[in-house]
Amino acid sequence: MSLRPTSAYAVASVDEVPEGTHRVVRAGKRELGLFNIRGEYHAIPNLCPHQRGPLSEGEVSGTLDYGPHTGWRLAWIWEDEVVTCPWHGLEFHVPSGRCVALPEVRLSTFEVRVESGRIFVVA
Amino acid sequence: MTIESTPNAAAASDRETLETLTIVDVDVHVHEDPAQLAEYADPPWDVGLREIAKVEERYLDLPGLSPRAEYRVPFPGGSHRRQVATSAREMREGLEALHVNAAVVFPDHLLSLAMVRDPSFAVTLASSYNQWLYERWLLEEPKLKGALVIAPHDPQAGAAEIRRQGGHREFVCVYMPASGLKILYGHEWYDPVYEAAIETGLPVVIHSVEAVYPVFPFQLQDFRTSMAVHALAHPLAMVANMVSMIETGVPVRYPELGIAFMEAGTSWVPWVANRLDKEYVERRREVPLLQERPSHYVRRFYFGTQPIEEPERAADVVSLFELFDGENRAMFASDWPHHDFDHPQYVFGLPFSPEARRKIMGENAIRFFRLELE
Repeated sequence: MSLRPTSAYAVASVDEVPEGTHRVVRAGKRELGLFNIRGEYHAIPNLCPHQRGPLSEGEVSGTLDYGPHTGWRLAWIWEDEVVTCPWHGLEFHVPSGRCVALPEVRLSTFEVRVESGRIFVVA
Repeated sequence: MTIESTPNAAAASDRETLETLTIVDVDVHVHEDPAQLAEYADPPWDVGLREIAKVEERYLDLPGLSPRAEYRVPFPGGSHRRQVATSAREMREGLEALHVNAAVVFPDHLLSLAMVRDPSFAVTLASSYNQWLYERWLLEEPKLKGALVIAPHDPQAGAAEIRRQGGHREFVCVYMPASGLKILYGHEWYDPVYEAAIETGLPVVIHSVEAVYPVFPFQLQDFRTSMAVHALAHPLAMVANMVSMIETGVPVRYPELGIAFMEAGTSWVPWVANRLDKEYVERRREVPLLQERPSHYVRRFYFGTQPIEEPERAADVVSLFELFDGENRAMFASDWPHHDFDHPQYVFGLPFSPEARRKIMGENAIRFFRLELE
């Protein structure tokens, strides 16, 4: 648990981030990606841990998976939940912050609140 | 070639940064517009290039110029960053963001030049590209330095091109396209190119692209010495097989399976592992069976030490082993009585720690082969 004090930053209005879209916002000193995935908001850093690319400027899609957990069938999973870094293609599952390729890598995720049509990120 | 350093504004600073450092990027790529190349091409190829320009191109994939036999199925998403530079200004802005002070420029489509079928077209492509590059990029942006393209189809024409353009100091090397090459660059066929390069004071740079065509890069039968054949036949056989096993996820599908590679030395192991890890970052979705970096799987494999590397500094072997967890994955092998056997004294005498030496000389094999020794 971080002991760093947090603040709630107004980063956008709900009209600015319709369902199925995302945008880069600033919350204090942080540059974050704000995503609206099926009506739920998520915030992750706009910084790829690979080579520090602008991760949240990347495209959002699903991704491919395969293994015992998919019944050994190639599967398209996490539709609209995966952002791909525009620099080198590293993929992240936005709701969890998990790096799809590298399980030891996980992004910070930030609490998002909506009040009176305004979106706040706690960072 | 003279490159001016950036103004040394931070000279007083103790710590060097990207901004204060002079950075030379030796490989950047410009994107050829076939309609522009047509302006420099010999007839009737100018007509053909204008026709090619009518076709919608994909990334490094243009029918008639650099066609790919692309059968991979596209899925939504993925990297969408612009991956071409179509003007000197665009390139300059990109390089400035990277804090690059000077860059050597290579082509996009002409990376596939060796695969162009008609030698006459290949030669005119090279010469028109070079003139286009000179006029529209190198003269436009001083921080860009040109790689002068030659068509491997006709070394005499390549030599003439080098002599024609080589006097322009904006060109700093001769670029020899590697992918799809029919005759390897060691052949005397290319002597005219090398002679012209020497004459004009330009080095040559061999640069590849993602292509396997039709047998490249496996025409090793052209080697004329045992030195060349033996140096590569073993490790390349291992490289090809290991990459294949990683690609299809053998260690994932059969995690209990022990896998070892023999008689290829080990220096190729970290090389392949690092190559695969770099690819994996960008292309994980092609191998979703893999749940970790490819090198994590490579580290599950075992390797015979023979033929053990014999660098000038024996300690380099220890450093090499650290790159692929050799302490726990290498197993001494001699290949006795073959001509190139390794005496156990050599491996033993390498400056490993006593513990590592024990593992390499025996304990790893005991574990791998599940030996029960008295």
